[in-house]
Amino acid sequence: MISEKEIKDIAKLAYLKIEDNEVEKLRNDFSSILDYVNKLNEIDTSKISETSNLSKTENVDREDIPKRFDKKLLIDSMPKQKNGYLEVKKVLYND
Amino acid sequence: MTNLTNFTIKQAQNGLQNKDFSATELTRSYLENIKKKDKDINAYISISEDLALSQAEEIDKKIAQKESLSPLAGIPCAIKDNIMVKGERCTSASKILENYRAIYDATVIEKLKTSGAVFLGKTNLDEFAMGGSCERSAFFPTKNPHDLERVPGGSSGGSAAAVASDMAIYALGSDTGGSIRQPASFCGIIGMKPTYGTVSRYGLMAYASSLDQIGPMGKTIDDCEIIFNTIRGLDKMDSTSTDFEVKEVKKEKLRIGVPKEYFGEGLDKEIEESIKKAIEFYEKNGAEVIDINLPHTEYAVSCYYIIAPAEASANLARFDGLKYGTDSKLENPQSINDLYLENRTKGFGAEVRKRIMLGTYTLSSGYYDAYYKKALQVRTLIRQDFEKAFEKVDVIVGPTSPCLPFKIGEKADDPLAMYLADIYTVSLNLAGLPGMSVPCGKSKSGLPIGLQIIAPSFCEKRLFDTGRIIEQKII
Repeated sequence: MISEKEIKDIAKLAYLKIEDNEVEKLRNDFSSILDYVNKLNEIDTSKISETSNLSKTENVDREDIPKRFDKKLLIDSMPKQKNGYLEVKKVLYND
Repeated sequence: MTNLTNFTIKQAQNGLQNKDFSATELTRSYLENIKKKDKDINAYISISEDLALSQAEEIDKKIAQKESLSPLAGIPCAIKDNIMVKGERCTSASKILENYRAIYDATVIEKLKTSGAVFLGKTNLDEFAMGGSCERSAFFPTKNPHDLERVPGGSSGGSAAAVASDMAIYALGSDTGGSIRQPASFCGIIGMKPTYGTVSRYGLMAYASSLDQIGPMGKTIDDCEIIFNTIRGLDKMDSTSTDFEVKEVKKEKLRIGVPKEYFGEGLDKEIEESIKKAIEFYEKNGAEVIDINLPHTEYAVSCYYIIAPAEASANLARFDGLKYGTDSKLENPQSINDLYLENRTKGFGAEVRKRIMLGTYTLSSGYYDAYYKKALQVRTLIRQDFEKAFEKVDVIVGPTSPCLPFKIGEKADDPLAMYLADIYTVSLNLAGLPGMSVPCGKSKSGLPIGLQIIAPSFCEKRLFDTGRIIEQKII
């Protein structure tokens, strides 16, 4: 079973916070899913190539023409703004 | 005003052309139906009444000036809330985008607008399309119009419920592992996932980019074909898009493949009977039924639940809650990471967080080969299963879902049970194939059952033709 430390490490990598009371449920959920997907090890894939996507494999080029977006809509889509600038919380590092 | 809400696209278009009613009257009728019914069904996250009425007015002007109309002109539709309609809310049913308004139109929306479509509103889904029941919406669950205690399926459950209850004539959904076909099956409508690449994904909020595909949901196959032909095509904004299609004449003797793996353990008895009746119907109507094997079917769900979360963990990394989304309540953050952590943890629901973490884990060094690479190799085998099968048959049929629409909450605590409900649908996304769910019967309790038809890549026409043989014949 996946360890408490591993769960916490993954959360850190994924930029997610985990409360102590969530760790057990996540360990259980992870274990049941990972146990199930381990089924894949029944298959010998040593000579099988990978399919990472299904589209054409050559590069698709296009002219790099700037697209103008609606400025008002762009600014309105921000959670908080001041005079047309994105407003975020002040962050002071306390190292 | 008479109730004008029981239409297919074709019927409504005839009504408009014959001036039986105006586009505005039609749109108002659907908006009223939404007001009346949606408090019980909860299919919509937001209603765009102003946009819909202004679009309908435009069409009425065109009718008055005797301009020729495209088949979708003036027809009211619903759009899944992970597809962007400029100026309208687009939430993906997530708190992290609760107040977000789209700043541009998805390519499919642009195409529908050019065709004169009328947008009634945005429909509910499992958050970021991760789920098969609509219970994972951060806002509210949608109910199945056939039984309000049951789920409409998912993730495009809002779209399916809206069409099934005449709160829209048609809808768009997106399908990553079955999210169009399974809710279509649960709600008794047609839902079609096109070949990967045939419909541009520009403006669709990405869940798993190598699997995601936008597609039509409607009341008839003719309707879905009209929608598909409107939204398909090459788009310079989506490099995976293509306008390739296989042109073919309708076959004289259709060869239908029936995979034995689709009738194994876990399939509901009533569904099995109904699907077998549908296959008999095809046989009676001249098709040759051939038993086939898709030997890697049992690995498809495992494969999917490695690949989809891996891609999701990368796609959802963009949501930091600063540029768009919800404003953080955190006071005096000590570092920028504190803000990200707070925003992402509060903004994403539990299932989304779990899938991001699962993907982060299977992509992390030390586990990449064991999980992600392994899944990509098995994906090749699943693809080859279909390639081999299609050497012998023209289409493959089977059930869309192993189970009938379940009760709200019934599978909520068992993550694996919910994932296994995707068993017949995920393979198509892994292989990029087109598939469609067509209603083919009902359970004794009156719940809809869907037949899944699968065609080779870029053979959508064959899919529609095969579906039409059985459409509304054996219900």
